[in-house]
Formats: sequence, structure tokens, C-alpha cells
Amino acid sequence: MRSRAGFALLLAAGVAVVTAAIAAAATDGSRAQQAGAVAEKASCKHPAIGMSAPITGPAGSIGSDQYHWAKYYVNKWNKAHRTFRVTLKQFDDQIDPAKAATGAQQFASDSSVLAVIGPAGSQQVIAASPIYKRAGLAFVSGSATRVSLTDGSLKGYFFRDVPNDGIQGPSDVTYALNHLGVKSNDHVMLVDDSEAYGTGLRDIMKPLFEAKGVKVDTESVAQTDTDFTAIVNKTAKDKVVFLLTQIATQSQQFAQQMKEKGRTAIVFGSDGSFDSAKFNVNGSYVSFFAPDVTTLAASASVVNGFYAAFGHSTTPFGAPNFVVAQLEINAIKAACKDGKVSRGEVRKLIAKTNLRSTVLGVSVKFTGNGDVVGDKFFIFKIVNGKYVVVG
Amino acid sequence: MVLAFDPSLFVDQLTAGLTLGAVYALIALGYTMIYGILKLLNFAHGDVYMVGAYVGYFVLTGLGGPLAPRLPLVPLILLMFLVAMLGCGLLGVVIERFAYRPLRNAPRIAPLITALGISFFLESSAQLLFGAQIRSYDTFSLHNGVLLFKGIHTTIWGVRFDLSLVRIVVIVSAVVLMIALTLLVNRTALGKAMRATSYDREAAAMMGIDVDRVIVATFFIASALAGAAGVMVGLVFFQVSNFMGFQAGLKAFTAAVVGGIGNIPGAMLGGFLVGIAEAFAEGYWSSEFKDVIVFGLLIVFLLLRPTGLLGTPAIQKV
Repeated sequence: MRSRAGFALLLAAGVAVVTAAIAAAATDGSRAQQAGAVAEKASCKHPAIGMSAPITGPAGSIGSDQYHWAKYYVNKWNKAHRTFRVTLKQFDDQIDPAKAATGAQQFASDSSVLAVIGPAGSQQVIAASPIYKRAGLAFVSGSATRVSLTDGSLKGYFFRDVPNDGIQGPSDVTYALNHLGVKSNDHVMLVDDSEAYGTGLRDIMKPLFEAKGVKVDTESVAQTDTDFTAIVNKTAKDKVVFLLTQIATQSQQFAQQMKEKGRTAIVFGSDGSFDSAKFNVNGSYVSFFAPDVTTLAASASVVNGFYAAFGHSTTPFGAPNFVVAQLEINAIKAACKDGKVSRGEVRKLIAKTNLRSTVLGVSVKFTGNGDVVGDKFFIFKIVNGKYVVVG
Repeated sequence: MVLAFDPSLFVDQLTAGLTLGAVYALIALGYTMIYGILKLLNFAHGDVYMVGAYVGYFVLTGLGGPLAPRLPLVPLILLMFLVAMLGCGLLGVVIERFAYRPLRNAPRIAPLITALGISFFLESSAQLLFGAQIRSYDTFSLHNGVLLFKGIHTTIWGVRFDLSLVRIVVIVSAVVLMIALTLLVNRTALGKAMRATSYDREAAAMMGIDVDRVIVATFFIASALAGAAGVMVGLVFFQVSNFMGFQAGLKAFTAAVVGGIGNIPGAMLGGFLVGIAEAFAEGYWSSEFKDVIVFGLLIVFLLLRPTGLLGTPAIQKV
């Protein structure tokens, strides 16, 4: 009888997994069918851009903010250009690579879609890129920072308006060595988010520290984790703990649990932690590719307009998607000058983007491989809950 | 991986495991109570716990928030627990009435799938109602962080003990709730009715026990315990999100299986064991393997001892 009870529980666990998988597949399948059914001819009369973002799921707070910023630009554009209105078609990839690939297929088969915003995460970009490439679609991410995405394999198709981890990782390591007193035989901890983002950064930073004789302990957390005590317990010897996660509240919690346990290591968040409303433990550091958009005087009217439309809350991952929407729509508009448009033409025009000033406070122009020209990272220290530039 | 034995680290990981285990144990109790009565694996239970965490959060913010609470600490926390437990208890009753009762005589697969549906429903509803952003209890700021910075902070024979007040509150209140539940089940008429219903529902009904009432009471109590666990997690780990229930629910399910599903002391034991296993795996091996260890435990028990540590084999008349 014992084996019957075991079998029943195994069956129950199996049913749970299979049901979840069927539910997900059914949703994807119906969306794909829908996409095929509503496919429109590419034209300058009804141009559209797609957006693949994690609107729901563990990164839903980031994805919905990204979508809101893109939508905000599209709304502004459509208000100002009543004869050249653009549709934003969204796909919720739930930060799941498999779903991102499904979304890519959906946009690929919808000929009204001339360019795509996203995907948001590097892992999703990797999964979706063969489909976008085959469909001749440009896809521009406002947050995927893994270095290998712009190694040339996606040249002319993939772009991003944020600097890659090849800039961030070394910037953070250099700052720790030069300004935080980390030296040979000291210990540091790198905590990644088990995603391409965090693991990519970790793989860049670890050898740089080790080359200087610094001892590195690596740990991983999941985006849904809410308790870091067991990792915090291991930080007694560490001089600096780098949090390479995409969720600022996780960094806040980690830093607070460090304080709770009386740990003295400096907490240093990567750009995923850059959110002064959510990560603000005094004495911590954080790196980011641009000044905080909510503090820029030049961007105040845009930010206030966003708040009026979508509520008084945003994340640092949002505004880059405003700029992506801006540069994609500009490219479509330019391509439509002669009344005709193709995805290839839009791609070429996106590659030639040259926005001298943006809401981000930096200019946006792409290198041949799709990175931003002249990108750099800023280091901020948290003083009285505010971010102060220190490097 | 940590190789050299450090007693302070051992104590740290043990207290981390006990805290986590207390939460898992409370959720596992709900799983086990409902399984005991209805033979139903209520996969929505983890999401009831999520709702409890939100209710506690909204009580806290409704009373001024962590930065300016309008009540002293003790009544504030008691109120958070009370409202969350009451709210979740009622939610459990509603779920039972509208989702499970109509399927009570259906094949066992039907309520199981319904439970998964309720789980998704609660998760998505929470996102629609409360938004996708992660909320924080901000215990760090609540009454100047007294819950985090007070407690036991001492060194005995060279071993460092750091147990913050909030962790003491969590562990002690979990144990108190478990004792109260054990007394209720073993010493009251309702508890006797629960045990009878669990043993043989039809025979219990023939003996004059109002089985529907017993089931409703079981759902209320199980869900109230999940609500308490939600507030505890909010206080000790701060973060609340609509996705927090699924993973915790799976861990608690593991705890219930490890302890012996359907067995109340087993659920408590399983909860603490799973919490400690998770903390030690993270502390002494690697954080990347903590889930491997926990769910590895589930597989090992299902294969080698499906009745769990304290469960007894079901005897079936043939």
C-alpha cells in the first residue's frame, strides 16, 4: 500500500507539471494562430512595431514599466502625427526564452510589424534572435546587456541603447580596486541572478578580480527568491558583495539583511539595482549607464507626462524603451518618405540612428555591431537614501 | 563551498533554517490538514499564503506604513496577523465552497486540476489588483528597525549567536500556532470531528458529524495558518509579490511529504527539516543547489518512504 500512496503523490506532482505546461503551450499556440490570422501587408498606411517584454511573471514590474514607456512614446507620436500613426503590438514573454521565441514568431509572421522593441533580457534575445534574423526584422533592446549579443553574429539586426556588461563589469571592478580598498588576498562575493544578465557579468568580473589576487566567492539567487540569509551568513570575510541582479528590491533586502546580521562588507549593486526608490541602504554603491532619468531637469516634462499617464512610479529599465520606440518610429517614418517600406530598409535606417539628445540624458548612435557609441558607466554611492555620483 | 567548520556559521545557518522552516511548517500544516480530510493536494494553498502577505502589508500601510505607524509595535503586528489570518481563513472557505465542494465526488484528478487553476487565478488576480511591482514591509524602518536590530546578539565560547527579534517572533509564533493546532485537533470536539472525518468521511457523517462544517472549519484553519505564514515572511524577508506563493507552496508540499502527508506533527517536522536543509545547502554547498537539495529530498522520500517520516502506511481492504 505504501507504493500506492507514493504513486499517487508522484502522479499528482506529474499532473501539476503537465497541466502547467499544457496551459502555457495552449496560450502560446492560440496567440500564434491569432497572429497568422491578422497578418497584414507591410505598408506605410498601417505601420506597427512589436514589443516583447515580461509584462507578467517574476519580472512583471520591469516589463510593464518598459511597455508603458514605449506606449507613452507611441501615444505622444500618434497625437502629434495624425496622418502617420503607428501601432504598438505587445507580446508578454514573461522573461521566458521559449515564450520570447514564440513572440518573435508572432511578429515575424505579422507583416505590419516593421521593427521590434526588446526582448528585455539577454537570454530572451538569444532565444528569439534566429527568428528575427530570418524574418529580416530589426530588434532593439532597452535592457539586454550580455556582451556576446553584439559580437557581430547579429550585426545589422540587433541593437541596444544601453551599454553592455563589457563596460559595466570592468568599471565596477576597477572602482572596487581603486576606491574601495579591495586588494590581493581580500575576499569579494559575486551574487548573480542565475540569468544571462547576472551570470554574464559574473563571468566578466571574476577573472578580473582573480588576476589581481582577490579571492572570489560566487553565489546565485533566483529572481523569485525572497530570503538571502544563508548567503549573507557567508559574507563575514568579504570586503565587497556585488549584487548582479535585475530586481532592485532584492538588493535592498540583501543589504538590509547584511545590516541585520551586522555584516560590514560594502554592498555594490549592478545597474539592475539602480532605483533610488527601491534600493537605498546608506553606504551601498550602484553602477548605471546614465544619470537617473527622474532627476534630470531636461527630462522633467517627459517624466511628469509619464507619471500623469501611468502613475507615479517607474524603474530605471523603463525610459530606454521610450528611446527605442523613438528611434524605431523615426526610422519607419524616414523609410516611408517614398510611400514604400520594407523591414530591410527600416533595419538600415535604425543602424544609422543618431539621436544627439534623449530623455536618458545621453546621445544614442550605434556601432557597426549594434552597441551604443561612447557608452560608459557611472558609479553612485547611496548617501541619505540619495544616489551621489562618485565615479 | 565552505570546507572548514566554523561554529558561528553553523549557528547562523541553523537559525536561518529554523526561520524558513517555521514558515514552511505553517504552510505545510495547511496542505496536510486539507489532504487529511479530503485527500486533496490543494496547490492553491501557497497562493493563499501570498494573499496573507498582501493583507498584512495593506494593514501595515493602512495604519501609516513602516515609516510612520499609528500603532505601537506589538498591537500593530498582532493586528496584521489577525486580519491576515481572518482574511485568508475566509478566502479558504470561499475556495472550498465554490471550487472544491462541487467536485467532492468527482474523480481525484478533477479537484487537483481545479487547485492548479485556483492557484493561477489567485496569482493573476493579485497582479491585477495590487500591481506587478514588489512591495516591501520595510521591517528595516518599522519602529526604527527594532525587530531586526534587537534580539540575541552575543558570543558564547567563541561562537557568535545572532538571532534578531523578528526571527524569534517568527519561530515562537509558529511554534505557538502549531501547539494550538495540535491541542485543537486532539482536545476539542471539532478536532475529534476532524479526525473522524479524516479517518472515514462517510462513517463520520453516519455518526451525525456535519462533515461539510468540518471541512469548512478545516479550510478556514489551514488558510488562516497560511495567512500567518504570509505575514511572517513579510516581516522577516520584507518582500511581497504575487509570485511568492508558488515556490513556497512547492517547498511546503515537499515538507508535508517529507513529514508524512496527512500527519500534523509530520508537517511541522518536515517544514523545519526542509528549511534547515535549504539553509545548509546554501551555506555549506552553493546557493545554486538549494532547490536541487530540497526537491531531491521530495524525490527520495517519494521513492523510498512515500509515507514520510511520521506517516503510517494506508491499509486498504481488498
